[in-house]
Amino acid sequence: MKRQLTITNQPIDEAALLSERCVSDGMGAVIYFLGVVRGAEGEKSISAIEYEAFQKMVERQFHLLFDEMEKRWPIESVRLVHRVGVVKVNEPSLWVEVVAPHRGEAFAACQWLIDEMKRVVPIWKKPIS
Amino acid sequence: MRVSVQFYSYFKDLTGCAQTEESAAEGSTLADFLKKLFERFPGLAAMERSMLVAVGVDYQPRGYVLKDGDEVSLFPPVQGG
Repeated sequence: MKRQLTITNQPIDEAALLSERCVSDGMGAVIYFLGVVRGAEGEKSISAIEYEAFQKMVERQFHLLFDEMEKRWPIESVRLVHRVGVVKVNEPSLWVEVVAPHRGEAFAACQWLIDEMKRVVPIWKKPIS
Repeated sequence: MRVSVQFYSYFKDLTGCAQTEESAAEGSTLADFLKKLFERFPGLAAMERSMLVAVGVDYQPRGYVLKDGDEVSLFPPVQGG
């Protein structure tokens, strides 16, 4: 399984990511998910979220998750970009792409990866008013 | 032995620092070590149940036996995405 992980303080460049997409003939499903900063946390309006990461551990935990993904589903590739630093409302903080032979495993793997990321990958949010 | 400790997210506010060092007796477990840290940083004690603990870049259970040079990281539940 090909894997590409990017933790960056730069805006997520969706056009560049899409142009770099690589899918082999046997693959029938490409899905991607974009997580966007909402304008409210609970009932309070915010202007941005500041993301803090324990970078070395983030990389380690994501690669453990990718290892597990590879065991569970026949995924050809996963690419994931997560922002750190200040991300304004309406800007994406997370971009995930999964390429697989069929949509079922692609959706399942992507959902699982994001759920697990929120459980074990050491990134924290701080809302900015 | 000396063990370095890093705090993340609002644990830095609770302790007033991002990192520190603490001594630990040979054979100390993470649980022993945390007890000692809670005496020094009482604000952390209330977070004990939800606190996540890593040594290096891996999560470790409270029974993990510390080794000289270990880097312990303490932080609240993660919130990526």
